[in-house]
Amino acid sequence: MKKLALQLSVLSYFTVLLFAGCQKFLDINPLYTQDAENFFNNPVDYDRALTGTYDLLQSSFMTVWIGEIASDNAIAGGESISDTEGLHQIENMSHNGVNTELRNVFRWNYAGVTRANYLLENKNKIDFEGKDKIIAQAEFLRAYYYFELVRYFGDVPLVVDKRLGADEVTDIERAPKSEVYAQIETDLTNAANILDWTAAQKGRITKGACLSLLGKVLLYQNKFAEAATILDRVINEGPYRLLDDYTTLFSVVNEGNSETIFDVEYSGAEGGSYGCLICLEGNAAPGFHGIRQYNGPVYGDGNSYNLPTQKLYNSFAPSDIRKDASILDIDAFIAGRDITYAKGGGGHTGYYNNKYIKRIGEIGLPDNDLTSPVNYRAIRFADVLLMAAEAHNRKLPSDDGAARTYLKIVRDRVSMPEITSGGSQLTEAIWAERNYELSGEGHRFFDLVRTGQAAAEIDGFTVGKHEVFPIPQIEIDLAGGKWTQNPNY
Amino acid sequence: MIKYLISVVVIVGFVTQISAQTVISGTVKDSLNQPILGAAVVVKGTKNGKITDENGSFSVQVPDAKNAVLRVSYSGFQTKEVAVLGRIKLSIQLSENSVGISEVMVVGYGTSTKREFTGASSQVAGEDLEKLNIPRVDQALQGKVAGVTINTNSGSPGGGASIRIRGLSTFGDNDPLILVDGVVYDSEGLNALNPNDIESVNVLKDATAGIYGVRAANGVILITTKQGRANTKPKIEYSTFFGAQQSAKRLSLLNANQYAVLKNEMHANGGETPPFSNVQLGEGTDWQDAIFQNATMSSHNVSISGGSEKTTYSIGGSFFTQDGIVGGDKANFTRMNARVNLNTEMSTRLRLSSVFLYTNEERNALPENGLGSVLYNTINAFPTQGKNSYLEEVSDIINPLLQIQNTYNTSYVDKFVGKEELAYDITDKLTFTNRFNYNFALVDQKVFSPLAWFGPGKSQNTALNEDLDPTQVEIAPGTLIDRGASVYEARATYADLNFESFINHEFDINEIHYIKSTAGVSVFSRNGQGLGGTAFNIPNNSIEYADISANLAPGGFLNNTNSFQFQERLLSTFIRSEYRYKTKYNGSLIVRRDGSSRFGPNNRYGIFPTVSGSWMISEEDFFRWSKITYAKLRMSYGISGNDQIPNFAYRGLLDGEGDYVFDDVIIKGIAIGRAANPDLKWETTRQFNVGTDLKIFKRMDLTLNYFIKNTRDLLFQPEVSAVLGTAGPGSFPPIINAGDVSNKGVEMELGYVSKKRKNFNWSTSFNATQLRNRVLKTPSGVDFLPGAQFGVGGNVATRFQEGYAIGYFIGLETDGVFQSQAEIDNSAQKDAKVGDLRFVDQNGDGVINFSDDSDLTNLGSAIPTFTFGYNVSMNYKGFDMSANLYSAIGQKIIRNYERQQPYANQLAYTIDRWTADNPSNENPRLTTGLTDNTRFSDFYVENGSFLRLRNLQIGYTLPANLLSRFKVSSTRIYLAANNLITITNYQGYDPDLGSFGGPLSAGVDYGFYPQARSIMTGLSIKF
Repeated sequence: MKKLALQLSVLSYFTVLLFAGCQKFLDINPLYTQDAENFFNNPVDYDRALTGTYDLLQSSFMTVWIGEIASDNAIAGGESISDTEGLHQIENMSHNGVNTELRNVFRWNYAGVTRANYLLENKNKIDFEGKDKIIAQAEFLRAYYYFELVRYFGDVPLVVDKRLGADEVTDIERAPKSEVYAQIETDLTNAANILDWTAAQKGRITKGACLSLLGKVLLYQNKFAEAATILDRVINEGPYRLLDDYTTLFSVVNEGNSETIFDVEYSGAEGGSYGCLICLEGNAAPGFHGIRQYNGPVYGDGNSYNLPTQKLYNSFAPSDIRKDASILDIDAFIAGRDITYAKGGGGHTGYYNNKYIKRIGEIGLPDNDLTSPVNYRAIRFADVLLMAAEAHNRKLPSDDGAARTYLKIVRDRVSMPEITSGGSQLTEAIWAERNYELSGEGHRFFDLVRTGQAAAEIDGFTVGKHEVFPIPQIEIDLAGGKWTQNPNY
Repeated sequence: MIKYLISVVVIVGFVTQISAQTVISGTVKDSLNQPILGAAVVVKGTKNGKITDENGSFSVQVPDAKNAVLRVSYSGFQTKEVAVLGRIKLSIQLSENSVGISEVMVVGYGTSTKREFTGASSQVAGEDLEKLNIPRVDQALQGKVAGVTINTNSGSPGGGASIRIRGLSTFGDNDPLILVDGVVYDSEGLNALNPNDIESVNVLKDATAGIYGVRAANGVILITTKQGRANTKPKIEYSTFFGAQQSAKRLSLLNANQYAVLKNEMHANGGETPPFSNVQLGEGTDWQDAIFQNATMSSHNVSISGGSEKTTYSIGGSFFTQDGIVGGDKANFTRMNARVNLNTEMSTRLRLSSVFLYTNEERNALPENGLGSVLYNTINAFPTQGKNSYLEEVSDIINPLLQIQNTYNTSYVDKFVGKEELAYDITDKLTFTNRFNYNFALVDQKVFSPLAWFGPGKSQNTALNEDLDPTQVEIAPGTLIDRGASVYEARATYADLNFESFINHEFDINEIHYIKSTAGVSVFSRNGQGLGGTAFNIPNNSIEYADISANLAPGGFLNNTNSFQFQERLLSTFIRSEYRYKTKYNGSLIVRRDGSSRFGPNNRYGIFPTVSGSWMISEEDFFRWSKITYAKLRMSYGISGNDQIPNFAYRGLLDGEGDYVFDDVIIKGIAIGRAANPDLKWETTRQFNVGTDLKIFKRMDLTLNYFIKNTRDLLFQPEVSAVLGTAGPGSFPPIINAGDVSNKGVEMELGYVSKKRKNFNWSTSFNATQLRNRVLKTPSGVDFLPGAQFGVGGNVATRFQEGYAIGYFIGLETDGVFQSQAEIDNSAQKDAKVGDLRFVDQNGDGVINFSDDSDLTNLGSAIPTFTFGYNVSMNYKGFDMSANLYSAIGQKIIRNYERQQPYANQLAYTIDRWTADNPSNENPRLTTGLTDNTRFSDFYVENGSFLRLRNLQIGYTLPANLLSRFKVSSTRIYLAANNLITITNYQGYDPDLGSFGGPLSAGVDYGFYPQARSIMTGLSIKF
């Protein structure tokens, strides 16, 4: 009898365990981290999400590469022609829907957009003082990322103030360029109304950044009169003036100078790995632009990317100090000195990008080739002056006087004579000046396309095709395969 | 479940008979009339039994001496049933069994015999592993079991191996579940286990492993540690060996003269100035000679085992140490083990089994298997420069000797594994078992980075210059401090706690219907946490002061502090019902239900059923082949699961990276890490197996299996649309269930044991496996998942793609070398130069298109089509000899250790490059200029097939009477060699190449740390 009782109790014990289970045992929560859906409960949460949204600005090195390499200014370079092959294809205008670098541009900027949208979809969750400034910065950043997308790829999907679920992706269409631009203008106008001309911290977005980018966006749409009005505000109301010495403009010590309107901020303190360039806190461009196996003074070792062409070098007036400030002529530099370096298998022109290049003293530990603390000067006052000059010159009716005044400020700094022409001659002069002033900074390709000069200047450029880059084929597939590829790709 | 309930109900009504007892005594001997120690003599139908002593003697009480039957069993012998027939003294002789058909084998939550078992499994005896003197169990298993592929991930001491049971079935973790005496022992931690402690290994290959449910999809390996025998005096064994190791192979590289000639030509072809004005540089530096060294290894093992009537014990202790053939003590691995295995009958119905395994290990490691590893640097270092040079011409190749000298990377592990198990016999037929298992590991790591200088521009430099001045770091705007020598220290603890409770029930109806049932629960929890940080400015640039506390000294600072913690849990219930009709038919049903904290509430539980059956065809009357004494047909089908994904993948957490720089300081923001997928569920493997076990000519055993293993709903992290925003730093796509993989194969195991004779005995076994692996489906919208990269920043060379093996190689196919401009003009490669590789225009469009997939093709995969293992052992009087061979055929290897760089050294095949005077049709011209020859093509893919003599040994056992006055019962001395001969066409160091980074990196050779060739001499003494 005792045995029977024991057996029955064992049986019931198992029955309980088998069927009741202990559901709560499996309900465990991760430690020291928060759920995405249960956030934005205090001002610090907003601030941290905003910092996360800024993070993607650091992908700017890719635009410094593609903006130059796609144009007549530079070749891809590197160790071999299969080293970052996408850049070599872009150099040759043989790029198509399979291109890692273009795909990165597409993905990284959407990551930025999504982080901005994550903050903005929660903008009404709580109220606190200073929230409007956080919202304004997020709007600027969303506009910045969308502007990158629209000028690279044309029509792109437009997602605003929400995140898409995995199953919603296949429903979304490419929005017409005009809609994307309209959203960018709205965001920048809102942000400009909230933010001040100066920010409490170095690296924060200001009213000047918002208006300058808005002016640039208007210029890209050939809305010259509106662009002129906006850019005039930056020139007249803003606290900006050109730095006297052009040759030291791109050094770490000259960051945050009077010419700075909008910098992408970098630090050399963290290091990183080649496996994830987007994870870096340092600027990848200077190290990659550096001289291969370099052993000598002034410069550091690098990977010989993005090498300026002879054509660019020759385009400068001999007396223009910007020539050597922008381009390093390696053979002239080493002449007679005990300096060694190697040419990369990916191409060699004898020239290096002298604005963003690894210099001794601008450290990015632990792999000095990889990161640099040098900020990317995304928008500087000289660029605004030249954009304003172009807007005044090309608006109807034009104001060539204002255009010449702005152009003169830029040329005076580098002791170049004043331009006195007007009309389309002045237009040409402003365009040329843009490259003297801004070469090596990632603007050239987009300027050539915007101004219709691309076919004339870029070998292999096909009109009706290369004005925009192809949407990465895999992105078309991943979105359900119904987007039409850009023409002729 | 219902079956189980029925069987329990039947028991409830069962009453054991008790009547008068008679004592029966006797002896058990083998066919040579030698007494058998430790044979089990059990009164049939009861749990009443005894173990024979060293004279083979036993005595048992039987209730009814007339009708009682004794069941006598001993490992390695056929179990015999002896009717007592009223006798009180018995002499019983057992005959040896080559396969051990009746041998008890451990299966999940119970035992079975080979005769009854309905699944596909393979057993390996511990002594067969021990004999190889290989420190890791997985490596020792290579070639021992059909269907199990073992690859070495690193030949360095303490380096890992990968175990693949019946192929790669998932994109993620393919490691089988490894249980040591029922305790989960992860394969990464397998270094800790001493092969000398192992009694036997049982590999469950088919769906009958499904009793382990969600962990069983990759197969299960059950390891049993050594146990003592009842009624035996303490038996002391001591064994030791000493080994000398050397590299088995050197690559054929250019010497200084050849190098200078070729580099001049290469530069000239690229339109550059030839760098060497004088090429008469002789042999130059042989960097391989400088790096490879002879290294020692040694081992000591002591064990004591024995038992009283109620208690058995086995206690062991061991010490093992091995230096590396690269790096010597900088690659040393040292392990100490202690083990206690105790079984005791606490009362007639209550038994305690206690296992305790302790390991202390220390491993020094060098950078391995990648760009920048010691061997990669060695292969590419220039022969024209001396051993103290900086190899300045290539920034990412550093002097490998300096590299070894400045590497201090040590990890320490203390591991405690054990179980306490109480089994209570409720009745003779019903046993209730509760056990508590634990696996605790403390893992410390210490990496000291002295200030070191590898030459100008080298990224590995930690110092500013040759004088070892420190670099400076900006801690705040304008504030620079020295960044001196540093030490990274980390400590992590991992604890598995597992409680399991189950009942086993076994009964028969008139010895016709046999029913066996098991039901139970398992509660499993794993916790881990760790802390780490780097302290800078270690005093004196010396390892002596390399402690994290140095950050408190003047000038010191702490950086990169990090921590982690995780927890995961499993809650499982399982039942198994087995039915046997006489000795002919066996059927088994297994159902396991698992709940895992890795999945969200929507799909937290999974149910995994398996059915299997066998038919003992040789027991049928119509079976008339007298040569075949035993024939069994088996079949099984079942579903098992896989939950090997990161924790909390179903939730979206704010663990992405969202850092930006404000006021020149890096500010930590937040970002969404992995996107959420609340519907995430199990990956399931459906496996069908059909097989047969035969015994032919009495002494030959043959096992054949055919299997189809389909894995569905693969746990994947495929790329998703950019618009979802998961491509930011620290952000990842959601893990989803998508994709199918299939493995099909045939396995054969053949064994032969000679008839036992006095002077000469021999045995041999052969196993073969054929395997076909295919990806059947990839996630929608994803054509393929990219894998390993070729060269530096080069093409993606491996993929996961529908219709191909996992990680197959994709690249250009070559068709010789262009011999003339006319040939180029008529080709699809108009930009080529004479002497360049000619590629095959796969799509026939008249152009080799380098920017898309159209001209790429399948270049093979790292998965062998066939693997073979062959073992032979023989003894003549006191002498014994054994050999173990392993062969893998059909796999390919990517030669990825050649730095495609103007100054890097090259393999000697480049001497036969194309030149105008040597119109090679195999090797392209050399050039520093732009060339498509460096694109990934079959030029860089080699046949990885090999045959290896893994172990060969000759031993001599001293005559027993020689040392008997020292109480020594047996002494054996031996001489052995591991990896003595490898036959292969592969140019690299070692074709037995695993994977360093998951299934898609398999077969990519970055200058793999090869397995050493070792010569060992050893001694084992039994007291």
